Amino acid sequence: MTAPGEYDVVVVGGGVTGAGVARDLALRGVSVLLLEKGDWGAGTTGSSSWMIHGGPRYLEFDWNTTKLSTQDAGYIVTIARNLVYRVVFLIPVMPHDKNNIERMETAMEVYDRFQPLKHAHPHRRLTATEALQAEPGLTPNLIGAVTMEEWGIDPHRLVFANVQDAIAHGARALNHTRVIELVRDGAKVIGVRYQADGAVAEARARVVVNATGPWSPEVAAMAGVAVRLRPAKGIHLIYPHRISNFSISAESIDGRDLLMVAHAGFTLLGTTDDDFYGDLDSVDVQEDEVDYLIQGFERVFPSIRRYRPVRTTTGVRPTLYKWRRYEDELSRRYEILDHSKQGADGFITIAGGKLSMYRLMAEETSDAVCRKLGHQAPSTTATSPLPGNESDPVPAAELAARCGVPALAVVKLQSRHGSNAEKVLDGDGASRILCRCEPVTEAELVYAARHEQVRTLADAFRRVGVAAGPCAGAACIIRSAEVIGRELGWSATQKFDAASEFVRGSWLGRAPVLNHTGWAQEELAQGVMRGLTRNRGAR
Amino acid sequence: MARADSLAKLALAYGIHLARRRIKRPSSGLAELLETYAHDGIRALEPAERERHPRLVTCINCGLCALAAGRMGRTRLPDLAASYMRLYARLSDASSDLEVDGGVSADPDLAAATSACPVGLPLEEVAAAVRRMSLG
Repeated sequence: MTAPGEYDVVVVGGGVTGAGVARDLALRGVSVLLLEKGDWGAGTTGSSSWMIHGGPRYLEFDWNTTKLSTQDAGYIVTIARNLVYRVVFLIPVMPHDKNNIERMETAMEVYDRFQPLKHAHPHRRLTATEALQAEPGLTPNLIGAVTMEEWGIDPHRLVFANVQDAIAHGARALNHTRVIELVRDGAKVIGVRYQADGAVAEARARVVVNATGPWSPEVAAMAGVAVRLRPAKGIHLIYPHRISNFSISAESIDGRDLLMVAHAGFTLLGTTDDDFYGDLDSVDVQEDEVDYLIQGFERVFPSIRRYRPVRTTTGVRPTLYKWRRYEDELSRRYEILDHSKQGADGFITIAGGKLSMYRLMAEETSDAVCRKLGHQAPSTTATSPLPGNESDPVPAAELAARCGVPALAVVKLQSRHGSNAEKVLDGDGASRILCRCEPVTEAELVYAARHEQVRTLADAFRRVGVAAGPCAGAACIIRSAEVIGRELGWSATQKFDAASEFVRGSWLGRAPVLNHTGWAQEELAQGVMRGLTRNRGAR
Repeated sequence: MARADSLAKLALAYGIHLARRRIKRPSSGLAELLETYAHDGIRALEPAERERHPRLVTCINCGLCALAAGRMGRTRLPDLAASYMRLYARLSDASSDLEVDGGVSADPDLAAATSACPVGLPLEEVAAAVRRMSLG
């Protein structure tokens, strides 16, 4: 039994990789402390394209990467059934595209060899007429199209499911806890000092894992070692509904691939890919980045400007360092760096990678950790179901009738909690709908505050999707502050400040994409939330 | 090395693909596509639906339509536009929300609701679209 403050391993970074490492090690019986300075998945993971994909792009560079990626996607799809859904791409081929339709179909034929590994269907080829029948919004100028299947996933819930399972297997996991120093003993890293709620604490460990994505160089510097990345900024536009049932790819003005992805109840359009040298904790979306995406997409889907994006997301990818090559060509490969030869024994960094391969990255990192610990247990994360996937959920209509909530709310609840949805609705919280756009029940928000480490309204947004819909919280954010505040013991001032902070944060993501209808929404929101935005610079 | 190997294999696959295209008559991919993904609720929009679609998703959830008219089944009108109009793929799992006593309810006064909408959302069309989608 490990004494308090002493662990086998401290994992720094609560994105999908860090959470995956914590879960993998906990399942192997290793004692783990997982620390995240913000909220689970709030950094690079949450600003991804929300896809578990096999990486057809890597066919040009390394087929083995495609194989590994599709294989691991297959594992994730199996262990996280409630979180995934099929995403079917139409890839229209236009005159003068860099690849003609025969080349595109060849790539898809090759990709089809790997698709069974992730339980996906083979591609189809469509004539121009057929493509327009499948999606009448495509430009009539297209030559034809091919299709490709990938998996969509909620990355916030994926991260938290890993955290939950790690905790269930003995790990300790703290969000809103910042590592401020690595503790050294000569040439060895022996622990971390961390800060939460103003208090500083120390944890000793035999191994410290740096899984902080683009922040890896910063954390590595605390150990006196260097990690070199080539960070790449990417933005997405979010539309609060599906624009099409099909996801659609397009080519940007500079020949990059853009994607409009049809997720469960929203559309994500992205992404940019630019070298980033700025402050990782303050990454803004520029209006020209928005224009770049819409302009590129308009070529294949002319009515895109008739739709209203409600917000943007932005993040920085922890791409491995390489000189000169163009941003997109840099592989999403990863490296596990043991810093013992740099004079920091007991310190390991996992750098690079992508969401689709998080489980494999976590397994290999955990293997490296276990070699250091002399621990023999193998990884079981490829087959052990994540929480909520141990059994099939009851039919949505049946649970809805029993609990007196709309079936749509249950459908959404089950997509987040799987077979644990009943437990959420059977808890103490009221079953009334709190966020009507999504919809989210008050019971789920209460559950999130009590059992899912929700400490801010932004945490609630990530955990249960509150305020994620068309009204961006105008109709629910004050009530949400009431509910969470009641659970966490906030004063009236704290509730007001929490709502105000959320409104300010969401404004930053919304401002770059406001158009005509967007302003109608904004006027309503400003009216409803006047007290929250007054004198705060959020118009 | 991996790059060269990958490009060589792709070039071979391209040659095989071109040869196959010359020999084999291409079949229709659309019917297979729609059949494959029908279970996942992934279906094509009709051209008329596509043309009108941008107008059907402009709800700002102000709630004024709820004052002008009642519900469709158990569903409040603002929810119909703000929530149900967003989710295509699994809407059929929630079709019970639109039913009353085992059947689909009579329409509320959607014309009155539409006239109350500050962004001019055509609620009759929204109701028809949601009903159609919920039937799968």
